[in-house]
Amino acid sequence: MKLDANSGFIADADAGSLPPAVSTVTVIQPQRGWRAVDARELWLYHELLFFLIWRDIKVRYKQTVIGAAWAILQPVCTMVIFSVIFGSFAKIPSDGVPYPVFVYAGLLPWLFFANAVSQSSQSLVAQSQLLTKVYFPRLFIPASSIGVGLVDFSLSFCVYLGLMVWFAHLPGLSVLLLPGLLFLTVLTALGVGIFLASITVTYRDFRIVVPFMVQVWMYLSPVVYSVTIVPEQYRWIMALNPMTGIIGGFRSALLNQPVDWNALGISTIISSTLLIIGVANFRRTERRFADIV
Amino acid sequence: MLAENLAISFQIRYHRSEVTIRETFVRLLDRFHRNGHRDGRWSQVFWALQDVNLAVYPGEVLGIVGPNGSGKSTLLKALAGILGADHGRIEVHGRIGCLMSFGVGFKANLSGRENVFVNGSILGLSQREVAERIDKIIEFSELGDFIDAPVRTYSSGMKGRLGFSIAIHIDPDVLLLDEILTVGDASFRAKAGSILDRFRGSNKTVIIASHSMGLIQKRCTRAVWLDRGRIRMDGDPSEVAKAYIAETEGPKKA
Repeated sequence: MKLDANSGFIADADAGSLPPAVSTVTVIQPQRGWRAVDARELWLYHELLFFLIWRDIKVRYKQTVIGAAWAILQPVCTMVIFSVIFGSFAKIPSDGVPYPVFVYAGLLPWLFFANAVSQSSQSLVAQSQLLTKVYFPRLFIPASSIGVGLVDFSLSFCVYLGLMVWFAHLPGLSVLLLPGLLFLTVLTALGVGIFLASITVTYRDFRIVVPFMVQVWMYLSPVVYSVTIVPEQYRWIMALNPMTGIIGGFRSALLNQPVDWNALGISTIISSTLLIIGVANFRRTERRFADIV
Repeated sequence: MLAENLAISFQIRYHRSEVTIRETFVRLLDRFHRNGHRDGRWSQVFWALQDVNLAVYPGEVLGIVGPNGSGKSTLLKALAGILGADHGRIEVHGRIGCLMSFGVGFKANLSGRENVFVNGSILGLSQREVAERIDKIIEFSELGDFIDAPVRTYSSGMKGRLGFSIAIHIDPDVLLLDEILTVGDASFRAKAGSILDRFRGSNKTVIIASHSMGLIQKRCTRAVWLDRGRIRMDGDPSEVAKAYIAETEGPKKA
């Protein structure tokens, strides 16, 4: 669907009978194959994105008994379990940092990514009514799930501030990298989430595949361990996973460790590629969503 | 509003309503083995709309009639941009207000007021525009103090009234309605009906799909009869209604 302002006015006499106040003209023509993102249309509807995020957050905090506490309980419980099993029992080295702080610094980007991807991959199927009953840029549906994840992220980040003080492990100057790293995480989550959302509409198998995929992905990313325990010759394979560079980056920023710029560079390239592929595939299959959802 | 040579097709799948990866594989293998009759076994193309040519002008209230499955909803969805067309071209001048069902995206646990903001925004309003209209929307819906209660406590009629009230206050240039004026009690229906007259009076376009010949004859200025995806008749509402009734009731008498 293409929204075109002030273009495509019909030339015949009938056009003259239109009231002059009407200035927007929508032209709908069959479109196949790959389509670019309609930035103008996204801007036109940008407030809707915030309303969708606001709605989902409100609903969740009204429906659940302890509301916002869930956003804190999930990472905290995970951190405690991982600290006991991987830190105390398995004694996985944590680059000289107390294991709870080490694992929590990795869980921050990972849990945001995992939750955002799981939510957005289901978003189109879960909200099929929005697809079949009303028109607006469909990209906002998976994108809003990512936005909801960002709110949880900021809550779980507050817990980190507490941990930081408790374990007296203060970050250095590299903490200034955080906004950029968060942006990169959002980019990756958007790319993967949007891609999986459009695939899930066509292939419902992915409803089962995604949770498993996310679980496997966690062990392929340096969440419970550090990249430094991986043999040198295999590290480049790990770097192909964009979350490797991101999690490493978060640790560097929060734990005052040297930044691995190579891994971050590779992550940026791969994340951007994923986003382009995800959006392109979404736009290509979008016109059939209402039909097959 | 203009539709030229509009056609929309659907693939009807016989075996499953949902495609799975396994099915795709089996289909690929199937095609590979029996190159001759592709697709013949697995799906069939169904043309929901064919050669639809329609120009509707400001001030017109167009009623679309036709039996179930004749393409009424498909046509409205195509005009709203929900469904992509396979052929042809649609041109709509001005803001489209589309009401396929009430309260799309309503969340049961949010209050009526909160849902007005979300729903208004889904229908294309900015936050400022919703804020400007919210009093009128609440007044028209006749919900009173219930507006701050969660929507889950509403009756279906109340939800319908709120949804309708939001939709008409979007103030679209082209309003698309799919069989919805049957909602609410008699007095609300009358109020909703008079809204159609107001739209006509202010030089806006209304397109309404309905099975109610009474509504078509009373409120519409023109009617189109859809039959198996094609326009069978286009003209004066009473004449179209008469012809349509004669056809649908004719065989019974014979």
